[in-house]
Amino acid sequence: MEELNVTASAVISFAEKLEDTSSELYEELAERFAAHKETFLAFAKESRKNKVLVTRTYQETITDALEACFSFAGLNLNDYAVQKVSAEGMNCPDALQMAVELEEKASRFYSDVARRSHSLLATIPGAFRRVAEVRNKRKLELQSLLKQGH
Amino acid sequence: MAILEEPIKETLELRNYINGEWVKSEGSIEEVINPATGKVLGEVPISTKNEINAAVEAAKAAFLDWRRTPPLARVRCLFRLKELMEENFEELSRIQTMEHGKTIDESRGETRRGIENVEVAAGIPSLMMGYNLEDIAAGIDEYLIRQPLGVFGIIGPFNFPFMVPLWFIPYALATGNCTVVKPSSEDPISQIKIAELAEEAGIPPGVYNVVNGGRTVVSGMLDHPDIAGICFVGSTPVGRDVIYRRCGETGKRVIAQCGAKNFLLVMPDADLEGTIATCMTSFFGNTGQRCLSGANLVIVGEGLNEREYNAFYKKVVEAFVDAASRIRVGYGLDEKVQMGPLRDRSKKERVIGFIETGIKEGATLRLDGREVKLVGDWPHTCFLGPTVFEDVTPDMTIAKEEIFGPVASILRAKSLDEAIEVIHNSPFGNAASIFTTNGKWAREFQYRVACGNIGINVGIVAPMAFFPFSGMKNSFFGTLHGQGQEVIRFFTESKVVIQRWF
Repeated sequence: MEELNVTASAVISFAEKLEDTSSELYEELAERFAAHKETFLAFAKESRKNKVLVTRTYQETITDALEACFSFAGLNLNDYAVQKVSAEGMNCPDALQMAVELEEKASRFYSDVARRSHSLLATIPGAFRRVAEVRNKRKLELQSLLKQGH
Repeated sequence: MAILEEPIKETLELRNYINGEWVKSEGSIEEVINPATGKVLGEVPISTKNEINAAVEAAKAAFLDWRRTPPLARVRCLFRLKELMEENFEELSRIQTMEHGKTIDESRGETRRGIENVEVAAGIPSLMMGYNLEDIAAGIDEYLIRQPLGVFGIIGPFNFPFMVPLWFIPYALATGNCTVVKPSSEDPISQIKIAELAEEAGIPPGVYNVVNGGRTVVSGMLDHPDIAGICFVGSTPVGRDVIYRRCGETGKRVIAQCGAKNFLLVMPDADLEGTIATCMTSFFGNTGQRCLSGANLVIVGEGLNEREYNAFYKKVVEAFVDAASRIRVGYGLDEKVQMGPLRDRSKKERVIGFIETGIKEGATLRLDGREVKLVGDWPHTCFLGPTVFEDVTPDMTIAKEEIFGPVASILRAKSLDEAIEVIHNSPFGNAASIFTTNGKWAREFQYRVACGNIGINVGIVAPMAFFPFSGMKNSFFGTLHGQGQEVIRFFTESKVVIQRWF
């Protein structure tokens, strides 16, 4: 079902779930693929920090005077939805590819919500932009691991 | 997307908080009702004159020690209160949604704004400082000190049950005064929760008191000789004709922040996308129940010929109506919802009365909020959708009188001068905004418009806690405003000392 005119609360809740899903995935990957354990654990930790950054920025910035209910006109959260992912039964290249796709979607989500809410939600778009950069950087790192034939 | 969990699960028996004790009132009881669901949240007492007197006596007695407590020690209580508010942020916010009806984003925003006042008041050791000059004459020094006055009465409105009393309470306490708070009996639970946190924060008994009730409690405050001043937020008739007048008669200080009819001007060079989003918050945020809400949208044709102006006017109106028609209305704990219900049925009926008057007086109804479709299956008792009128003229009732609901009136003005004249013909002077990218128009607007809170590309001109919440004409009665440095002056008296040592 399409969701238009999404509220800030809904976007933040979505971001929280996205980071939780990511964190769980990377912890699983860390257990299964020892060669990249440190990288995956760092990503999991980073996702927990992303969640804190976004939710803390929202909670510390939100006021009734901001356009919190009207900053995301036309946004469809389904476009960025990530079902609970698992690498069970996957080999390392396939798992890495899945992770790349997750990072692409996440980076796109954060970039889109930052752009839509720019100048309407004070410092909150800045937090979205920071996490978009983090997720994009991860995507590049994962792609590099894939190219190296892991 | 499910409804967020409700923190209030059973009917609360609300008590007064007097002298550090939770006291069962001897007064009659009224129900506190969730306007979205119709469920009873609590029972609030309508306290008696004895009870308000008891609270004032307790506050007066507590003042003796509290006034002698060093400012730094006083603000440490506020630091603890702030931490407790942060820890309970989400619960406090959801309670506001349940008892008032506003969306969860709006409630969280209100919680944040309330906490900001506690934070600013914690700067009292610096903010309360006086000043001095040595040798005003040889060997004689002069200095000014600021001293607290005693007990203040705070009368809260229904529309911001958590935040508005915090425009005053933290500053009153930080400067060494004691307070007696009367929450709105429509949604008192937020103030009861704050009192619980204040108790936990270690604010001494008697320094901070809460007495629930209605007119009897207000009259008791106004008549009590030991109340030094009153802070009130509410309607103009009550603020001007009851509160301000009686304070004048009894020599009390007063802040009375009252009604409004706010104008938002859209100039030909406005950024339309940003303007429309901002207007949605302004006109329909908090379901229009806000003294800073937009009421009249004036589309200004400065520098345009007739054909150009008609095209511009149509573009703005269609964008406005389209955006308003998409607003999702429902229970504020549903994260999909952008606008909640009105606070109660009588307010809804009052707003419907204005809609009917608008139609009768010849305005064109472009969007009819009476035909609202809700998100979720809720009783329609208090719900009304966004309503938009165009072809409104300044002499119409809906353009002149405060509606306090989700009704937008669209007017025309050929020039900025004409628009400013329309604003000045209003008896209110709370807020006004201009949407433009032209600095000259913006400066002209800021310079000339006689309203206390001016927005330039801002639809809700809500001052931060370190600025005063201004207001003029029939929107404000008093001299000093709430929040910021002005409210510190309100809660203190200046004492001048001249000293010489022989």
